[in-house]
Order: sequence, then structure tokens, then C-alpha cells
Amino acid sequence: MEINKVYINEETYPRLLKEIQKPPDPLYYIGNLRLAERTCVAVVGSRRASGYGCGNAEALGKKLAARGASVVSGMAKGIDSCAHRGALSAKWQGSKGSTIAVLGCGIDVCYPPSNQKLRNEIAGSGLIVSEYPPGTQPARYMFPRRNRIISGLSVATVVVQAPGSSGALITAEMAAEQGRAVYAVPGNIDSAYNLGSNKLICDGAVPLVILEDLLTDLGLGTEAAKEFEKNLGEEELRLVEILAKEGEMTQEQLCAASGRPASLVSGMVTILEMKGVICMYLGKIFIAKS
Amino acid sequence: MMTKIFTASLCGMKAELVTVETDLQSGLPAVNMVGLADTTIKEAKERIRAAIINSGYGFPKQRLTVNLSPAGTPKEGSHFDLPIAMGILLLGSGRQALCQQVAYIGELSLDGRVRHIRGALPLAMGLWEQGVRKLVLPRTNLQEAALLRDMELYPVDDLRECLDFIMEGGNAAPWKGERVSLKTKQQKEDFHDVIGQEVVKRAVVTAAAGNHGLLLMGSPGSGKTMIARRIPGILPDMSCEEALEITRIYSAAGLLSEEKPFVLERPFRSPHHSISRAAMIGGGRNPRPGEISLAHNGVLFLDEFGEFDLSLIEMLRQPMEAGEVTISRSWGAVSFPCRTMIVAAANPCKCGYLGDERHICTCAEKQLNAYLSRFSGPILDRIDLHAQVFPVPYGDLETEKSGGLSTEDMSVQVKRAANIQKERYRNTGIRYNSRLAPQQVQTFCPMTKEAAGFLKEACEKMALSMRTYYKIIKVSRTIADLHEMDTIDTYHIAEALRYRTLDRFYRRPGHGN
Repeated sequence: MEINKVYINEETYPRLLKEIQKPPDPLYYIGNLRLAERTCVAVVGSRRASGYGCGNAEALGKKLAARGASVVSGMAKGIDSCAHRGALSAKWQGSKGSTIAVLGCGIDVCYPPSNQKLRNEIAGSGLIVSEYPPGTQPARYMFPRRNRIISGLSVATVVVQAPGSSGALITAEMAAEQGRAVYAVPGNIDSAYNLGSNKLICDGAVPLVILEDLLTDLGLGTEAAKEFEKNLGEEELRLVEILAKEGEMTQEQLCAASGRPASLVSGMVTILEMKGVICMYLGKIFIAKS
Repeated sequence: MMTKIFTASLCGMKAELVTVETDLQSGLPAVNMVGLADTTIKEAKERIRAAIINSGYGFPKQRLTVNLSPAGTPKEGSHFDLPIAMGILLLGSGRQALCQQVAYIGELSLDGRVRHIRGALPLAMGLWEQGVRKLVLPRTNLQEAALLRDMELYPVDDLRECLDFIMEGGNAAPWKGERVSLKTKQQKEDFHDVIGQEVVKRAVVTAAAGNHGLLLMGSPGSGKTMIARRIPGILPDMSCEEALEITRIYSAAGLLSEEKPFVLERPFRSPHHSISRAAMIGGGRNPRPGEISLAHNGVLFLDEFGEFDLSLIEMLRQPMEAGEVTISRSWGAVSFPCRTMIVAAANPCKCGYLGDERHICTCAEKQLNAYLSRFSGPILDRIDLHAQVFPVPYGDLETEKSGGLSTEDMSVQVKRAANIQKERYRNTGIRYNSRLAPQQVQTFCPMTKEAAGFLKEACEKMALSMRTYYKIIKVSRTIADLHEMDTIDTYHIAEALRYRTLDRFYRRPGHGN
């Protein structure tokens, strides 16, 4: 992987990044720098995330990349990784979806180490940038600093899920300071995982109630309605309908809501999971977002 | 001048006939005990001397030698007090010929009273097998030994009463009380008290029906222990033989008392995770049964499964498969039966709140990985079903009066499936689906074409191992039995797959798994 650098006075330096306060100079990068010229959207959130957040991050990443946008995130665990992965799983004009990872350490350092595989994928088809010279080890203070680059590269920042304190909230603050749009995905108010992102909405972020709205706002067009109803049995369809209404349920709740015996529901949940209609996370059932 | 008195020594659950030979020679007053006696027996001479004198008899002031024959096998236990004391008292009485058919067991207290002993039932059974028909024993052990229908029992309260029995010429009438038959009891705790949790109850029924291992995974306070405690209640009623078997084990372990002379309920054992190997498997110089044997015919509940020593869990494997545990010592080996159902419970992570919406899991990634690694590979091998237990919302606890399935409903289902299995595995030496060997799966687990296709697809999609593949078939077999179906269909497979959630539980998106 070849490490390059670009200075602020060069033609290829990302245009939006020039506008922020203290832009990085030079900017180190690996991969295709032209991806920064596309519509960039930051999809961020906390490292500790629930299945709800991870699912939405992945879906959002995929939807954006499938419309030709670049998904910018921090390659941390949790929401960030999901957003990257979602983007990479999309197809746009015959190639892999575009995603940009902004690192808070030297460009040749993989942090967190467990994301090595993801990093290789991003380096292969996306773009990795950092303001730190090669070999710089990560330190706590670097991550909030690099958040200004995440928001700075992007026209809009989406906080998918964040608890009361999270680096994602700093990114949102930076985005607002830089005059960029800030979105937040509302979450269940009972869950502590969603406190920060929900508060962000109180503070004026645009609630992202329907993921497709973001695409419309950015002028990326909407996606055709899902059609997973195909080839589902009557009983299966009933479960899916209940799930779609509730969002996330335990199997216990699904049994109670459908009034079907546990044995039958257990079997159908597996079958639906195999069909890719639903997914399980930490024992909870979600509608799979394509 | 010498006497011979019969008694027995306990060796695991078996008892061997021991002859107490007592000899008196002129010389300085002394008591010598030979025949590989352990400390409890060596100390007996002090108890015996006091008991004899306090009962109003004289203790010989000459050189006394007591030999426990066969002299080569180690012996332990306090029940040698009474036979040794009798041997001493009968010296020179000329009555010892009367002792031919009689064996003595019992511990003495200093005032001459005969006290409760450990292992009366296995001792009596062993003596019966060796042809002894009359047994003098502590009155507190009477009920327990009375399970042996034809043995003539002579319960005694003190040494004097015991000596009278011989002095009367051994013609005293044996005890004629009512011999209880083992009527097994149902558990008091009912599944009805468990509100909601129908999914878990279904997993419990499946596990109990096929004797599969069960892992309950859930955050603290979600009801794992409550559920586990009720499992013995849904297992089929114990037969008389089963009750006798388990009573014998408890007797050998010294867990019976006058108040509780039998084990009538299926045992529920819940050892703490700091348990030693010997306590779990059985052990000691003269081995006593461990927790797995004490849970024989019942449930062995391993709470905080993740905290148990890995090698300890590993050691459970072979005995569980064989149905008995053999403990070898330099002088020989003893076996204890251990056909038990394993129920494990664990938190999903170190802090316990992973996956709980109301609390945030505070575990670091490293801790999570370390915790997860405890549940990998061979450990989960013994466990066929995983069920996740979610805490019931407080609102439901208040409003829902009916707890859904009760113990009775569940035990009916389990019994039905157990009978089907009994029929199917006649003459194969297997009792439950969980014991099927891979080569037998072909024969006993026919499935529809669609089911086979579905399973194959699932294995590919979920990246299941070959071992898991067989486990799923075995669990599907049990589910089909619960539905009284001969052939396994897609829904049975699908339900069985649901109980392998742990394999994929931690695979959360964004964490590089």
C-alpha cells in the first residue's frame, strides 16, 4: 500500500476540507483520493452500539454508497465499522461502494488492530486519510482532533447512535461549527445507548426518521420500496408484519404478540433468518435492512 | 482366647465383608489395632473403652489385639466401633458361636449409645450379597436399611441392648415394623411461578425430553436459577430402582439422616464454581461420590458456568458419556453411576449486561473476548441447547397472573417423548436421543428431503461444524418426538437451529468477528 501526501495548495486537496479551520497540511492518504470529490457523508456513532444502531449504520452506509456517495467514518469499532462495511457491500456503477476512513493515528498504523481486514478492504477500493505522519501511535487526544476532518470532508454528518458521551457528539459539534448539516437517528428512549443521539435532536440536529430522506436531501434520489414479502408463507408474513411494527423484539415478545406457540415461532424465526428477512443480534430479532 | 465378629467396610458404593478378630493375651494392658485401619478406626479404642466401662462392663486389663481381616484392604469409618466393642465384650463368654450369621455396624458414643453412621444401605446390601442375613445396626439407620426387604434387622440404641441380643441366645425377634416402599415425590416448586419465558420453557422441555445439556444465558436477575431449580420436577417420575440407586449413593456419601432416610425426589445439585476436582468427580483415599454422582438421575446445575475451571468441565465429559465415573486408587478402583442432566447458567459477559437494553455493558473488548473464549470449543460440546433468558418487564410480573406452562403440562410432554425413545432404543443400550453416536444418527433420525436440504443450507450459511451438525439432528429428533412424529421435518430442524444461538450470539456487526 503506497502512502501519498497532498498539500493544501495542490489541486487535488479535498475542496471541502480547505474551508475548515486548521485544515491538515499535508494530508497523508492511501487509496483513491478522487473519492473525496464525490458527495461525502459522515456516518458516525459510538463504539459500543446496540443491534439497532449497528443495523442502521450498515443500512445507511449501503444506501449512500449505492447512490454514489462516499461514506466517511473513523474506522472505530461499532457504528463506524458498520458504516464502512455497509458502504463496501454496496455496488455503484459496477464497482464497490465508496468509503473514506479518517484515522486518528499514523496512516500506516491499524487501530483498532482487530479491524485489519476492514482496513485492507478500504485501502483496496476506498480511501484512508490521516493528518499524522506514518508511524504515529494513537493517543487519546488525537481522536477528537481527527473528528474535525471527518466532518470537514463531508457535506452532512449523521450520528447514528451515541450514548450520553461519545466522540460522535464531538464530530456533530464540529460539523455544526463548520456549517455542515447534522442529522441524528432517533432511538428508543428507554435505551441508554441512544441518549446522546436523541439529545442531539433536541439541540437542533435533523431527526433522520426515514433513511431515504437523507438521500433526497442530498439529491441522490430514492430507492425503490423493499419487496421481501415475496415467497413468504402466511404465518411468516404475520410475524414479519408484527416485527416491522415493533422494530425489535425478543422471541418471547414475538410469541406473545403473535399468540403462536414458542416451538413454532422458534422454527419460523430460523427460517426467516435464513431467507434474509430478519436478523438476530444479542438474542433480539430485527427486520433485516437491505 | 479370641472372638470373630462380622462387619463390612465401604468401598465406593460396594461393601466388603470384614471379620473383626479380637484376641486377648497375657501381658501389659494395651490395645493394638491392625488391618490397615484409618484414623477413625484407630481412635475407636478410646471410644470403645469408655463406652464399655460406662455401660457397666469391665474392660480387659491384658494385651488386646484387634485384627480387621482381610488385612490387606484399607478400611475407614466409625461403624467399626460396635463390632470391635462386641468382640471385646464376648471374649470368654462362650457365646461367640452365635455370631456366625450376624453382622454389626454402628458408632459408639462415650456413654455407650449407638449413633448414626454413614453408608448403612450400601453396607447392608454388601453384607446381603455375602450371605449375611442378620444385621445389628443403629436405630437411626433403620429406615434406610429397611429398603433391603429380606434382611433381618435388629435396631439397637445402646451397647447394653446389643449385648442382650446375643446373651438371649440370638433368638430375639427381628424388627417387624412397616417397610416403606419408595414412593417418589413431586417437587414443590412449579414452573407455573415462572412468568412469561415460554421460549425458555420450550427449550427446557426439549432438553429434558432428550436428556440434552442446556445452557441458560442471560443477565443477572433474569430468572436462570429459578428456571433451573424447577427442571427436576418435569423429568419423568423416578422408578423404585432409580430411587434405591440414588439413596444408596447418598448413603455412601453420608448425606442421609434419621429425618431424611431416603432420597425420593430427583436430586438437584448446584455446586459452587470454586469446587475442587475431587468434590465434583468423587474422590478421597477411600473414594466418596462427587457432585456428578450425587446428581445421578437428576440435574447438575452449574451456575456461573463461565467461572468454572476449564479442566474441571473437561473432566465431566468422559463420565457423562459413560454414565458412570470410575476412580482408581493404588488398591483398586470404585465406580459411581452419574447419569445426570447438565444445566449450566451464565451471564452473557463479565459485567452481565451485554444485550440488555436498560444497562450498558461496561466490558472492554479484551474482557469480552476473554469471557467468550471460555465458552468455545470443547466446553460447549457437552451442551446441546442454548437458551437466552431475558428479564421479564416489571409490568408483566404484576399483571400476568397466569404463568403459562406449568410443571405438570411440561412433564406430560417430557414423559411422552421419553416413552417414544424408550420404545425406539429398545435393546440398543441407549436411553435418550442425546446419547446417539454419529453412525446411529443415520438409522434413527430419518428426515424429509426438504429438511435435509434446509439443514445443508443452514450449515453452509451459518458455518456450522460437523459436530454441531449432528447435535442439531439429535435435538431435532427430540423435537420430532415431542410432536410424536417419526420423520424429522423442516420446522424441527429450524427450531433446533434456534437453540444453537451461542455459536453466533457474539458475532455482532462492527466487531470484526
